[in-house]
Amino acid sequence: MNQLLRFLIVILPILIVVFFAKVLLVDEEIKFANFEAKNFPAFQMNDLSGNPVKAESLDGIKLVNVWASWCVTCLVEHPFLTKLSKNDIEIIGLNYKDADSKANAWLQKHGNPYLFSIYDPRGDLAFDLGVTGAPESYLLINNKVIGHIQGEMNQIKWETAFLPLIEKAKQGS
Amino acid sequence: MKIKKLLVAIYFFSLSTPVFNQTVYEFEDSLQEKRFYELISEIRCPKCTSGSIASSDAPVSRDLKSKVYQLVLDGSTDEEIKQYVSERFGDFSDYRPPLKGFNYFLWFGPFIFLVLISAIFFIKRRI
Repeated sequence: MNQLLRFLIVILPILIVVFFAKVLLVDEEIKFANFEAKNFPAFQMNDLSGNPVKAESLDGIKLVNVWASWCVTCLVEHPFLTKLSKNDIEIIGLNYKDADSKANAWLQKHGNPYLFSIYDPRGDLAFDLGVTGAPESYLLINNKVIGHIQGEMNQIKWETAFLPLIEKAKQGS
Repeated sequence: MKIKKLLVAIYFFSLSTPVFNQTVYEFEDSLQEKRFYELISEIRCPKCTSGSIASSDAPVSRDLKSKVYQLVLDGSTDEEIKQYVSERFGDFSDYRPPLKGFNYFLWFGPFIFLVLISAIFFIKRRI
């Protein structure tokens, strides 16, 4: 009995440390794994040039990137998005709580990696999507949201979170 | 001299946040008001590590509060409102996570742990 107790006293703290280390260190992966696919919310909006956006334009494999001209981190991820848009995936912008004149000027200055950008000055569509701030990125397959990343998009997040999902979807279809 | 100090104090008070926080919620009755304040203290701010939307002035929390306000006025039930929020921001948004799957561990884990620990102490005292 005593031996069992001694054993427990040693093993319990170790288990606790392992448990918390796991929760703290791998939470990003858990987040991706637990993302429940949902339909892209219905919307009626214009793009930054003032043309209405058709729901069909979200078909196929698309990356929806939430950005704004006031958002500093968006500038940080901008070169990577530009690179992605050239070879890997089509990107649609969701211009979030911005003024169209400022947004267009920003695109002119830094370059435009987006097929088009949905203009969402009040953040209505963003709210339905569950956007908490800019930048955020959503992975869409045929109008279904299957992945979500908060904050800057970069090589590591792209490879660990989105690429496997895209490959899985391609195999499935 | 005293007046100068007073002016400095007034200046700093004028910089405090309540002056800028001009959102006032008006309700038809006190029950709605009570429900609103209960709800916003039970919905977690998606942008914060830990804190309700009532305690947060992050832009997304402001949006959430005005949405909850709207839904309360429109006559939605508490359950419907929480459902509405968690559809968009996930289970994470509810400070009382629903009883399902891994959440059982979340709810009952501490009690299991407590029973284990007290069992050990109990056994130890008998030896």
